[in-house]
Amino acid sequence: MKAIVLLKRVIFVAALIPAAMLIVGAFRGTLTANPIDYITDRTGDWAFRFLMITLCVTPIRRITGWNPIIQLRRMLGLFSFFYATLHFLTWSVLDWFFDFRSMADDIVMRPFITLGMATFLMLLALAVTSTTASMRRLGRKWTQLHRLIYLAAITALTHFWMVGKVLVTEVTYWAVALTALLGFRVWWVLRTRVHVRPAPADFDGKKSFP
Amino acid sequence: MVIPWVGIPLKDVINTFQPTSQAKYVEFVTALNPAQMPAQTGRSLPWPYVEGLRMDEAMNPLSILAVGLYEETLPNQDGAPIRLVVPWKYGFKGIKSIVKIRFVDYQTKNTWQVMQPSEYGFFANVNPAVSHPRWSQASERRIGEFFKRKTLPFNGYADQVASMYGGMDLKKNY
Repeated sequence: MKAIVLLKRVIFVAALIPAAMLIVGAFRGTLTANPIDYITDRTGDWAFRFLMITLCVTPIRRITGWNPIIQLRRMLGLFSFFYATLHFLTWSVLDWFFDFRSMADDIVMRPFITLGMATFLMLLALAVTSTTASMRRLGRKWTQLHRLIYLAAITALTHFWMVGKVLVTEVTYWAVALTALLGFRVWWVLRTRVHVRPAPADFDGKKSFP
Repeated sequence: MVIPWVGIPLKDVINTFQPTSQAKYVEFVTALNPAQMPAQTGRSLPWPYVEGLRMDEAMNPLSILAVGLYEETLPNQDGAPIRLVVPWKYGFKGIKSIVKIRFVDYQTKNTWQVMQPSEYGFFANVNPAVSHPRWSQASERRIGEFFKRKTLPFNGYADQVASMYGGMDLKKNY
């Protein structure tokens, strides 16, 4: 079996562990005194972590030159969407139990929820267009659309930051990590632009001097 | 359910010390002991935690110094040995592990009021009409219940306490 196929399977199983732990915890009654808060926090954590892991794929590929790693990207992105969906369902079903009026109030009145909802809709758009058929159909537009992940990562981090009443150190570390991940892309674009610039005509070796 | 706190009326404790008319407010201070409470070594809050009540609030028979709950001695994590419980400010003002009570003639600044004045004022009465950028007070979920219920003004104790705030704009004095 190819290394990448094995790695993909291992990651698939590992990525389900946080969800499995929540289910086990629910049966054992170990999800703290406030299970809804706890489930909300854990699913949100993992949605964000998988978003960050997804953003690591391209830098690792560029740095190591190991191209097969790109085959993990869609699955990792979909796991971010998976946990974001659980996070959204925890809020809308467990917390508000389809109280649409209160949910609408929350989205309009609480900026961190506005950002959370916007992030979820962006991830939804990316998830539904993640199929190979969508990639073919959209062509260049697919690449442009999927740059939304950069914006989604920024709104997700802002959402995370605004939830707390005081700045949590963890959020600071994530901000540094996200800056590095997005900074890498800016640096890469600038670097490759310099490298692929065509040589000036004078040096093409064909021009004859009188 | 509503937590059955066990405690002593705060007014009985205050009366023991016979405060003069200069005592306008009561200030409470939490134990500072990072060896036992490791989070106090962090810089998340300016320790020790401080809370305050106006004298008439402190003298209201509903205000208690809790020493237990569910007919048990107060566990450490709930603020042993003594914590404040002010039912119409529930969720606020519940300072734990009190080691100091002072009578003062100025309105004290409680820790969260210092940290986040846009969300935490001095009075902190439960008020469903006051909404903050990060949270609403319009509804609540009681422990052991799945569905939320509408939160009542003064947490349902309006008859006993609303008269203390006559003429005050409680949206400004949140």
